[in-house]
Formats: sequence, structure tokens, C-alpha cells
Amino acid sequence: MRRAFLIALTISCLIGSGSADAQIWPLRRYGSAAAKGAAAIPANPQASLVATAGTDTIYFARRGIALDPRIIPTLSAEARWLIANPTMTARIEGYSDQQDTRSYAVAIGEERAAAVRDFLVLHGVAPDRLKVVSWGKERPGTVPQGATAGAAGARVVTVVSDSGGPPLLGRR
Amino acid sequence: MKLRLLLLGAAGVASAAQAQPVSPANPDPTGATVIAIPVLATSRNLETPSGSTWTVANQMTEVIAGDLRSTTRFIVADVKSLRIPSFPEVTAPTYSEWSGVGAKALLTGFVEARSDGRLMIGCYVYDVRQQRELARAGFLVAPADWRRAAHKCADVAYSGVTGNGAMFDSRVAYIAQSGAASAPMKRIAVMDLDGSKLTYVTTGTTLAITPRWSPKTRRLAYTSFEGGEPHVVVVDLASGKEQSLLPGGTSFAPAFAPDGQSLALSVSVNGNTDIYAVNSDGTGLRRLTTSPAIDTEPEFSPDGRHVVFSSDRSGSQQLYVMSADGTGQRRISFGPGEYGAPAWSEDGKRIAFTNINGGSMRIGTMNVDGTDQDILTAGPYDSQPTWGPSSDHVMFERKNFGTGHTSLFITAVDRPDPHPVATPQDGSDPSWIGREQ
Repeated sequence: MRRAFLIALTISCLIGSGSADAQIWPLRRYGSAAAKGAAAIPANPQASLVATAGTDTIYFARRGIALDPRIIPTLSAEARWLIANPTMTARIEGYSDQQDTRSYAVAIGEERAAAVRDFLVLHGVAPDRLKVVSWGKERPGTVPQGATAGAAGARVVTVVSDSGGPPLLGRR
Repeated sequence: MKLRLLLLGAAGVASAAQAQPVSPANPDPTGATVIAIPVLATSRNLETPSGSTWTVANQMTEVIAGDLRSTTRFIVADVKSLRIPSFPEVTAPTYSEWSGVGAKALLTGFVEARSDGRLMIGCYVYDVRQQRELARAGFLVAPADWRRAAHKCADVAYSGVTGNGAMFDSRVAYIAQSGAASAPMKRIAVMDLDGSKLTYVTTGTTLAITPRWSPKTRRLAYTSFEGGEPHVVVVDLASGKEQSLLPGGTSFAPAFAPDGQSLALSVSVNGNTDIYAVNSDGTGLRRLTTSPAIDTEPEFSPDGRHVVFSSDRSGSQQLYVMSADGTGQRRISFGPGEYGAPAWSEDGKRIAFTNINGGSMRIGTMNVDGTDQDILTAGPYDSQPTWGPSSDHVMFERKNFGTGHTSLFITAVDRPDPHPVATPQDGSDPSWIGREQ
């Protein structure tokens, strides 16, 4: 199974990176000390996520579904942010580039989003807080990436919002 | 709309029956036939709600000529210098007049107002050189439906001369696109092939893609992004009633079976996309493919026994054919690059596709076993082919990277001549089907 291989690759990349975060965070769940110590609910969740992770968008190679090892720190930071903000839910939105046929684009967008969702779940985010969706090639990227504009299409965007769930301990 | 077909004897003497095409006048499939299309005759110029019969005759003649001119198969002769044939000459043409302007074929016809308020319209197609009739057809229509009768007359000429199926009395569903390129409004539009009778099926408040006709053009299946998750919707065009086929999941890429009783579509579960079949009321969901790779873009063969689809199970996107129950899956595309968006021709003989190779997307066709591949277009962005009812033309979407606009194009299959299909806004994702007789 490609996905199992992907996850294994992801973990090996994480450990291999020697990042302290990577060794601390993989299996920690919300409700941990870090979560209890979280600040107030961010007024602008998306901006808060971007401030923490550096970006809310990760890119894929054309036709690629594998997570690029270089974006592992970004996804790890997204996982940390989600754990630290337990009332937040996330839509994991997969996109395809323009040179995919229209329905294949929906399918591969879904597959990319699922790869990111699997990473976040593996790193401690509860699955029921994450919703995988695909936009196929219907929302062309506006951020150039690499040499061609087309490369901007293959991406996954984590869109967070306050679920409006019950307040947590320590929430003012 | 009711359009009654008549069998024409002598001009105007009619009884209900079928049109009778005769053998083709032009067996050379690559040749263009010069056809003369004089103004249709009318024995008495009577007023109708759509104008006088003379006006209708002139408008119909223009529509017929426009239809035939839109293909590479016909050159419409200039007949302005010739007198308009009299009513009796509709069925007894003076061939020497038409050969004199270089015409190899002749289309004559008449428009008569009947006492019951309907129009009786007759069309005749002749081989000028052999001085014989090739085909004829007659119709009883409400005056407002004269345009459809004109398309039927053009089809009589098209089929009579080329030997292929009808083409112009057909409908196109497509995605009309407007607004910002980064977040376009996409709604479903339906129209006749010539752009008339255009209506919008969805409002544009939600993104919609991949419309597909049901047989008899009564329903459309499409993929809606309402609620933020793609899902297949079936809409009844007469009532506007919509049904979400598989609520609560991700489904897309619908295709009606030729009997209209079921659909094939893609369903994604945990990121894995497979092809399923489901009854058109949403019951009886059954899985047809089980690979851990992407299986999508199913399209039925016209007999309903097979499904062509695309899959990246080999590591790249390729075309596969299976029985309609999911058995006997086999790969058919082995050329350079990747293949997607397959479509099965109405005569069952060919499969059109998008080939993605060297950074370019092109339209091609192949036999249903993958042999005799033929690339029709130059790209760089041609995709989503759909066959017309005549099985000798393919419509597709083409993006112009210079202007950023996407529009519908049509091309003959044997002599590619891609040219635009006029739509009010950008157009993509066409589904083209012959109208119910």
C-alpha cells in the first residue's frame, strides 16, 4: 500500500531530521500539558496557524502524492498548533494542477489531502477534527511555485476554524 | 416538444413514418461536397406565430446552411444568382441549374402552414450528378419549433451525403465559467449544438463540474461542490428536481448507463478512489474496482456492456476497459505519456481520450482494444472529449494560455479541423448527445 509506505517514509524522515520537535510530538495527544497551557482562542485562527507553521499550504510534485521531506517540519507545526488549539477543526483541502483530467484531479486532490490527514492523525490530532476534501483543479493556485505556474496547483491547504465546541479547562 | 416525422410522397402528401436515407453520394470520406441550398419553397405565404411561412423558410435555409457549413464535409454553393425553385421543383429539380454552380448535392424543401396551426416541413436531398434522390424527411412542428426542423433537415443532408449518423439535432451540456480565474463561478448550461435554446441548470452559487446526459436528454448527472465536498447530483430537467445520489460522502465523475437505470461514478473512501455503480435513485450501490490506486472517469459503451475508465494503478494514469459488472479489467492504452478522460463513441467503435505527454494535453481516438491510436489536436491544453451522435466528430475544451480563456471546440475525427463552438462565457467539460427522436 502506497499510503503505508508514505507514512513509514514520513516517520523515518522525521526521526532522521534529528529535530527535537519530531521526537517529542509524534504521539502526543491533546489534553497534554502543552494543550492545557494554550493561550486563548486565536481571534484569527488561520493567521495563527500560519504564524506557527510558516504556511498553511504544502506543495506536491506533479502527479505526486508523497509528502516532500522538506515540508515535514511545517506539517509537524500544524499538528502542534491543532493540538494546542483543541476547539479548532480543520478542512484538509487537496488540489490538483491544471494538467490533470478533470475527475482524475478530484481523485488525486483527495489522495493528497488524505496523506496530510494521515500525517496529522499519526502526530496526535484526533481524526474527527479533520475533514478531507478535494477541489480537484477547480481552484487554480495563485502562488507561483517553481518554474511554472502549473506547479502551483498540486497542493494541500489546511483551513482551520473554531468548531464552537465546549470550552476546555482553563479557557477564559 | 413534439416533432412528428412524416414520410413524404409527392410534395406535401404525407403520412407518419421514418425518413429514408439512401446510399451515400460521396463515398470518399475525406472529400468535401459542394451542396446547393436554395431557399425552401412555400406555396402560400401564410402568417404564423413565428412569422410568415416565407420568413420561416428563409430562416430555416440559413440555419441548414450554417449547420452544414460548420463541418468540413460541406461547402455551401453560392446560389444567389439562381432563381428560387418553385414549389413543384422541390421534388422535381432542374439538375442542370445546380450543376452549373458546381453543386454535387442539392437540398430542397418546403414550409407549409396547416389549418391546425402546425407547420408541415419537407426536406429532400439529391445527388446532382447522378440525378437521383438521396434522402428525404418531413416533419409536423409547432411554428416555434422551426429551428429544430431545420437541424433535422441538415441532418438529412449530412447523413444522406456522408453515410454517417445525424449530428445537428443534438444537445450540449457544459460548464459555463465566469468570474476570477483563481475562483471561477462554474454553472451548468445546456444548449443546442448551434448555441440556441441555451438555459442554465445550476445557479452558480455552488461550483458544479462534469455534467453528463441521461439517455433521452431528460436528466443530467453532475458533480456538485455544495457544502464543500464533491458529490454527484441527478437533476430532472423538466421539473428542476435535484437528488443527491450518495449523501454524506465524496462521489464524482458520474456517467449514465445507456438504459438510464443506473450510473457509474467514482467514490473516495479515506483518500482511495474506486468506481462504483448505483441505481439512478441512489439505491443498490456496488463496487466495481478495488485497486488501492485511483480508478475514475468511467464511461459506458453504447451497448451498456462495458465501461472504459482511467486508473493510475500501473504508476501512471492509463485507460482500462472492464465489463459493466467490474470483471475482466484490462489496460488498453500503451502509447507515450498518460491517458485520461475517455469517451466511447456512439457507434461503439472508438474511444476518445486526453493524452498528456511532454507538458501538452491533446485529444486522440483509438480502437476499443487500444490499437490504431490517432492524435487529433495539437494542444497544449485540449481535454474532456465527448462524441457527437454521428460518431465522426468530437467536442472538447481548449484553454488558450495567451488569453487565459477556456472554450468549447469541435473537430472532425477523420480530418481534424478544430474550431470553436460559440458560448456566451467560457465553456468547458462538454457532454454532447443526440436528441430523442
